[in-house]
Amino acid sequence: MFTLTLKGLLARKVRLFLTAISVMLGVAFVSGTLVLTDTVNAAFDQLYAGLTKGTDVTVRAKSAFTDTSTLGSPKPFDTKVVDQVRKVDGVAAAEGSLTGYALMLDKSGKPIQPGGAPTLGAGYQIDRKLAGGFTLRQGRGPQTPTEVVIDAATAKKQGFVPGDTIKVMFATGGQRPFTVVGIAGFGEADNLAGATLATFQMSTAQQLLGRVGQFDTIDVRGESGVKPDELRARIARVLPADMEAVTSTTVASEASKSVGEALKIFTAIFLGFAAVSLLVGSFIIWNTFSILVTQRSREHALLRAIGAGRRQILGSVLVEAVVVGLVASGLGLGVGLLVASGLRGLLSVIGMELPNTTLQLHARTVVAAVAVGVGITLVAALAPAWKATRIPPIAALRDAATPAKGVSRWRLVLGGLLFVGGVAGLVRAMSVDAQVAAAGVGALATFFGLTMLAPVVVRPLVRVLGAPIAGSVTGGMGRLNAARSPRRTASTATALVIGLALVVGITVVASSIKASVGDVVDRANKADLILKSASQFAPGFPSGVADKLRKLPEVGAVSQLRFGAAQIGGMTDYIAGVDPATVDRMANLGVASGSVAALGHDGVLVNTDVAKAKGLRVGSPFTVKFAQTGDQKLRVAGTFTDKTLVGSSYLISLDTYNANFSERLDIAVLVGARKGVTTEQVKQAAKVALTEYPNVSVQDSAELKKTQNDSVNQLLGMVYVMLLLAVVIALLGVVNTLALSVLERTRELGLLRAVGMTRRQVRSAVRWEAVLIAAVGAVLGLCLGLAFGAAFSRALADIGIVTVAVPIVQPVVCAIIAALAGVVAAILPARRAAKVDILRAVVAE
Amino acid sequence: MSMVKSPTGVGTAARAVGATKRYGRADSAVRALDDVSVEFPSGVFTAIMGPSGSGKSTLLHCLAGLDTLTSGQVFIGDTDVSSLSDGDLTLLRRNRLGFIFQTYNLVPTLTAEENIVLPLRLGGRKADHEWLAQVVSAVGLADRLHHTPAELSGGQQQRVAAARALITRPEIVFADEPTGALDSRSSAELLRFLRHAVDAYGQTIVMVTHDAVAASYADRVLFLRDGQVVSEMTEPTADRILDAMKGLGE
Ligand SMILES: Nc1ncnc2c1ncn2[C@@H]1O[C@H](COP(=O)(O)OP(=O)(O)OP(=O)(O)O)[C@@H](O)[C@H]1O
Ligand SMILES: [Mg+2]
Repeated sequence: MFTLTLKGLLARKVRLFLTAISVMLGVAFVSGTLVLTDTVNAAFDQLYAGLTKGTDVTVRAKSAFTDTSTLGSPKPFDTKVVDQVRKVDGVAAAEGSLTGYALMLDKSGKPIQPGGAPTLGAGYQIDRKLAGGFTLRQGRGPQTPTEVVIDAATAKKQGFVPGDTIKVMFATGGQRPFTVVGIAGFGEADNLAGATLATFQMSTAQQLLGRVGQFDTIDVRGESGVKPDELRARIARVLPADMEAVTSTTVASEASKSVGEALKIFTAIFLGFAAVSLLVGSFIIWNTFSILVTQRSREHALLRAIGAGRRQILGSVLVEAVVVGLVASGLGLGVGLLVASGLRGLLSVIGMELPNTTLQLHARTVVAAVAVGVGITLVAALAPAWKATRIPPIAALRDAATPAKGVSRWRLVLGGLLFVGGVAGLVRAMSVDAQVAAAGVGALATFFGLTMLAPVVVRPLVRVLGAPIAGSVTGGMGRLNAARSPRRTASTATALVIGLALVVGITVVASSIKASVGDVVDRANKADLILKSASQFAPGFPSGVADKLRKLPEVGAVSQLRFGAAQIGGMTDYIAGVDPATVDRMANLGVASGSVAALGHDGVLVNTDVAKAKGLRVGSPFTVKFAQTGDQKLRVAGTFTDKTLVGSSYLISLDTYNANFSERLDIAVLVGARKGVTTEQVKQAAKVALTEYPNVSVQDSAELKKTQNDSVNQLLGMVYVMLLLAVVIALLGVVNTLALSVLERTRELGLLRAVGMTRRQVRSAVRWEAVLIAAVGAVLGLCLGLAFGAAFSRALADIGIVTVAVPIVQPVVCAIIAALAGVVAAILPARRAAKVDILRAVVAE
Repeated sequence: MSMVKSPTGVGTAARAVGATKRYGRADSAVRALDDVSVEFPSGVFTAIMGPSGSGKSTLLHCLAGLDTLTSGQVFIGDTDVSSLSDGDLTLLRRNRLGFIFQTYNLVPTLTAEENIVLPLRLGGRKADHEWLAQVVSAVGLADRLHHTPAELSGGQQQRVAAARALITRPEIVFADEPTGALDSRSSAELLRFLRHAVDAYGQTIVMVTHDAVAASYADRVLFLRDGQVVSEMTEPTADRILDAMKGLGE
C-alpha cells in the first residue's frame, strides 16, 4: 500500500510540487522569522557581551520600573558617588559614564539620523579596559573640549577621517563644530545596533548633555580573585538608598531582552503573515486532496473490493499528505533562509539596521518548519482522507466519479448561524466605538460562516458574474464549468477571499486613518505651524528650536510638547508634558472640567473617558510612577475630551515633566502667528530662523496632513507586499484546481476539439473559468474586506481613528485585478487543455 | 490492394489514396492501414465492416482528420486533409464534417439543444431555426431539448449526437459504432434517422459497425481485413453481410 502511494506520487511530480508550494510559502515565512530572530538575538548577545567585557559591576540609579520604554535612561547622579565606590575593597578601577542625545551632521549639513536606532553622545572613558569592546580603530581619544571620537560606521558612510571637522547638535540646541580625532568600533561591529555615537571628553560631555557634575552609571572592574557577585554586594553596601549595583551579566541580559522585546512586534507581524499564508495554503491542500480523492474514488473502491481495509485507504491518503508536507517543509526551510535575509533587508529599509552575523539555523527552527509543514498538510487532508474511506467497494462497478453531492443540512444551518452571528458582530462594531472583540469575533464568524455556505453561493454568483460573457461560446462554457463543481470552486475561491479580504480591509482601515489624521488636524489644531522631527525615527528635537522661535517678531505663541513613559495603575502609558500657558491656544483640547492653567507643579489633566472609568474628578489624588523619580502624588487638575492631537490621555505641565524626566527633547512644537501675520509669513520666518536645525520640519496643517498620509501609505505598501504573497498562493490554488479539472475532462475536451473547437477557443474557455473562479473569490473578498475594514476602523477608535472612510475605487480595482489574475493562473492549465489528444476522447476506453 | 469505383457515378465526398498507417517502429510495426485507396460518393450511406483490429476506426479517423497517415493522402471533397494545419483541420471538422462516436458524444454541462448547435456556435453562427426544428423532430427529441445529457437515455444521447452531426449540413458524417452501446430498439431508431437523412437530404454517411443489421441500413458495405479493403457489397441485407463476414474469417 505504502509503495503504491509513493509510486503514484512520483508519477505526479508536478502536482506534488504545486500542492507543496501552497504550504511551502507559509513554512518559509515561519522559518524565516525564526531564523531572523535567532540571528538578531545572537548578534546582539555577542555585541553586548563584548561591550561589557571589561566591566564586572555597574552602578546606577534605581529605576521605579523597568521595561523597554525606560531602558537606557537611568536618572543621573552626583559624581561624588564614584569616589565612594573606588574606596570599596576589591575595586581595581571605577569610572563614571554618561550617554545622551547628540545628533551629528554630515558634510552637507544634513542630520545623520539612523532609522530606529538612537543618536548618542557619550563621555570618553579613560580606562580602556572598562570600555570593553568599544575600541579605537584609528587616532586617539579626545583631549580638548572641541575633540570628538565617532563610530566607525558613521565615519565610513559619511567619509569622516581624523582631522575632519564635524558638526554636532545637542538637546539644548545649536550646532557646534568638533574635530574628529579618533574612530572607534564595537568589537567587530562598526556601530552599536545601528546607533550613531559621538564621544567627548567626560567634562565636555557633562556640559553638552546637560549633566554637569553628574554621571548616568559607574563602570567598575574588580581586582583579580574577587567574584563579580561579591564585588556587587560590597559596593551595594556603600551606595545611597536610591542607587543600585548590578553585575555586567545582568546589564548584558537586560539589553538583550530589550532587543528581544523590540523585535517581538516584528516577529508577531511576520508570524501573522505566516499564519495568513498557511490558512490560505491549508484551503488549497484541502481542496486538492478533495479533488484527488474524488478522482480516485474508483481506484479506492477497487482496492476496497479486493480486500483493502478502511484504515489502509486512510493511510494511503495520509501518507501522501505527509510526503507533500515534508516536501513543503524542506523547500520552505530553504526558502526561509532567503526570506530571513530578505526580512533583514526590509527591516533596514524601515530603519532597523541589524548587526551582521551569519544566519542562525537552530534545531528549533527545523522542528518548527517540519511541524508546521507536515501538521498543516495533514490536518487539511484529514477530512478528504476520511471521505475516501467512506467509498463503498460497489463504487468500483459504477460509472465515472460520483457526482458532487449537495451541501449537508447541518453545514447549512451551522454556516448560516455563524454568518448571521458574525454579521451581527460586525454591525455592532460598526455602530459603537472601540468594540475590538465584536469586530474580531464577528470577522472570524462571518468568514467561517461564509466558507461553509460558499458552495451554495457559488452557483448563483457565477451565473451573475458570468452573465456578461455568457454570450460567447467560450465564455458560456467557462461559466458553466466554474459552476460545475460548486464545492471545488468555493474552496478554491475561499483561498483568494482570505487574501483579498485582508488587502481590502486594511485599505479601508488605512483610508480611515488618513481621513482621521485630516479631521484631527482640522478639528484639534489651532496652530499655524506644527514643528516635528524631520525623521520619524528621531526621538525629538532640541529645545533650542522653541527658544529661537520665541524671539521672532512674526511669532505670537510657541507651545512645546514632550513625551515620556510612566506607569499609571501598574500599566506603562505615555504621558505628555505641555505648556499650560499656551497649549489651549494652540490646540482644541476640549477641556470639560477644571483648567489647563491649574496644572501647576502637581496637576494632571485626564481624558474624560479615563476619568469616567476610574471615577476621577477635579481634585482627586492621582499617583503616577515615573521610572526615575518613583511614585509621585499628583492631583487631577481637570478633564479633557480631545486627546487626538496631544496623543495622550494624561497631560502634565512641562515643569512637572522636567522634574521627573531627564529627557529634554521636544516631540513637537506648535506655533501661532502674531496678529496680522499670515501663516505663510510666519512659516517663511521660521524656516529662515531654523536653518541650523535641518532635523526639524516646519509644516502648516495641510503639509502636516500630507506627510502623515505619506507615512501611512508607506506602511500600507509594506503590508500589501506581505499580503500579496497570500494572494499569489491563492492563485496557485486556482492553477492546481484547474489543472486537476482539465485532467478530469480529457474526454470532454477531446470531443469538443473533434466537433470543431479550436485550440484558441479551448484556452479561452479555461481562461474564463479561471477568471470566474477568481472573480467569485474577489467579490466575496471585496464584500468581506469592506465590512471588516469598516468594523475595525470603528473598533480601533482608541488609536485615534475618529473617522471611518470606506474607499470604493481602490478596493474595487484590487478585486478586478485579482479576478483578472485568473488569466495568469489559467496559462498552464489552458495550455494543457488545448493539447489534449482528440483521439483519446474518441476511442472509448 | 483494391480499387473500388463509385457505384452511382455522382461526385465524391471523400476519398483515400494509398492510405497507409503504421504503428510502432519499423521492425515491430503494425500496419493498421495498408495502402488503402477508396472513394465515398456523395449522397451514399457507406458502412465499413471487418474483424476487430482490421483498421476500421483508423480509416475513419484518418478520413476525418482526427489522425494522420504514415503515407498516402486523404481528401474531403477536393481538400487534401493531410496538408492541413491543426487550425484548418478544426475548421474542416467544424464546418464540413459531422461526428457520431460510440459513447461520450455530448458535453455534460450543456443541454441537448446546446449540444446540437455547438458546432455552429463554435463558429459564431446562429442556428437556422427551420433546419433545427426539422432535425430535432426527425430524431424525435422535441420535448427533450432542455435536458442535460445525464437526464437522457443512451439512445436519446446518440440521437442528440446524430442531430448535432447534421446541424451544419456537413459534406459527410462519420460514425464509429454509433449503435455499439445501444439496445436493438434504440439502434433501429438511430439507424432509421441516418437512413432518412440520406434519403431526404442527400447526406453522405460513413459508418463503422460490427452489426450486420446496422450495416444493412447502408447503401454499400466495405469489408476490411488486416488494414486492407478486401471486398464491397451494394444493396446489402443482413444475411448477405453475415455470409460475407464469415468469408472474412470472423
Ligand atoms: N494508438 C495505437 N498504437 C498502436 N497500435 C494501434 C493504435 N491504435 C490502433 N492500433 C492498432 O491498429 C490496428 C487497427 O486498429 P483499429 O482501432 O483501427 O481497429 P478496428 O477495426 O477499429 O477494431 P475494433 O473493431 O476492435 O474497433 C489494430 O491492430 C490496433 O491494435
Ligand atoms: Mg474501432
